Amino acid sequence: MLKKRIIFTLLFDNGQFMLSRNFRLQKVGNLGWLQRNYNFADVAFFIDELIVLDVSRGPRDLDAFASALSRISEGCFAPITAGGGIDSVEHAKTLLRAGADKVVLNSALTDRPDLIRDIASEFGQQCVVGSVDVKRDGAGGYDLYIRNGSYKLAMPVSEALSWHAEGSVGEIYLNCIDQDGTGQGYDFGTLDLLPKGWGLPVILAGGVGNAKHFAEGLAHPRVDAVATAHLFNFVGDGLKKARHSLLNDGAELAAWEDLAAVDLRRHLETVR
Amino acid sequence: MGGTHLVVDYGMGNLHSVVSALRYLDIDPEISGDPARVAAADTLILPGVGSFYKAMVKLEESGLADALREAVLGRRRKILGICLGQQLMAEYGEEDGGRRGLGFFSGSVTRLSGEAGLKVPHVGFNTVRFAPQSRLFAGLGEAGDFYFVHSYWLPAGERPGLAALCNYGADFVAAYEHENVFCTQFHPEKSQTNGLRLLSNFLAQ
Repeated sequence: MLKKRIIFTLLFDNGQFMLSRNFRLQKVGNLGWLQRNYNFADVAFFIDELIVLDVSRGPRDLDAFASALSRISEGCFAPITAGGGIDSVEHAKTLLRAGADKVVLNSALTDRPDLIRDIASEFGQQCVVGSVDVKRDGAGGYDLYIRNGSYKLAMPVSEALSWHAEGSVGEIYLNCIDQDGTGQGYDFGTLDLLPKGWGLPVILAGGVGNAKHFAEGLAHPRVDAVATAHLFNFVGDGLKKARHSLLNDGAELAAWEDLAAVDLRRHLETVR
Repeated sequence: MGGTHLVVDYGMGNLHSVVSALRYLDIDPEISGDPARVAAADTLILPGVGSFYKAMVKLEESGLADALREAVLGRRRKILGICLGQQLMAEYGEEDGGRRGLGFFSGSVTRLSGEAGLKVPHVGFNTVRFAPQSRLFAGLGEAGDFYFVHSYWLPAGERPGLAALCNYGADFVAAYEHENVFCTQFHPEKSQTNGLRLLSNFLAQ
């Protein structure tokens, strides 16, 4: 049986990694910081997938982002998705060459559907993740936002989602701006925006503060993957403990031995 | 375990993660698409993502197909095929009108049946059941989770060398091992410690 997934999202902005709250960014540190203070190499062994987003608000430095992505991917033995401001097939190719397995696009879903089609036809539909940012409208519904949550579209969210489902994306990353970075749990109301007969995998994002929120997301029949971008909610061995407790409680997650238990290099030494 | 390791580069897909996984295991592989380098290597790794037909055209035209057949069938060099690499090792692939493969084992690579509304491609971690005594899966128990991305597969059937099965609507070959020929439909380099353990088992052969 195909497993559900826990996804970690890293937010990158001009050489720095960021925390986001309602899409407002706060700097936490560079790649060295991430490694020293967060032991990312170890954390990467307790996730099913990694997403790395260039969320720079100003001009993006693709070379710097690709170089950071490449360094991150050297120690991550799980699928990696990358994106942020992808504006050409060549841009997508640069990220795939730097270690990404998939690319994620947001503004282009509505601004440049031709680009989504071109990327899917070049690398396959399974390679394209559509990111959809929504915000509660105060009247029980949701509005659709693009460009880092800065621009509201008039198009109803469910209409945009129907359009994506017929298009060239392989899965959807559904993020609720109101919940983003709050640690208050997912907004499951966003799942009601999915049109009838929706067949693509759904990654639910926005609001995770603890393992219980992951469990609620994973238990939901419409959710294939749960994502968090909140570094500080899972410091130390937080993610490892969360994963173990979810597996013990019967969550439909993939299982593998902890790195320390396997100690692969020593295993090789003994057979040399 | 000693000798030179070569990752075959024939322009199909990203070699980055395979190379990273090997380096993690303290192996610094050569990356080359030169048939002469393939001929010189002790251990070969054949990764790849994409179309069987296009890949075979590239392997035949570059002379890599003959170099691989000579190294594997002639000089019995150890090889690991990954994803498309597994499919290319079969006799025949039906993708894009059909083409002869490298022919390291019998069977035809066909499109996933996608039964019961299952999505194609098959993407994600799925459970793989190992054959007892498998060398690739030594130390991993009877079953384990590995990461797949594919639209074509080698249907399960009676064949010598079946090392593991996976089920996605129907059983298919998740891994094969026979003498010096090893391959997996899943991506060990994307399968966390399960995949690293498998790679280390392969390298130790």
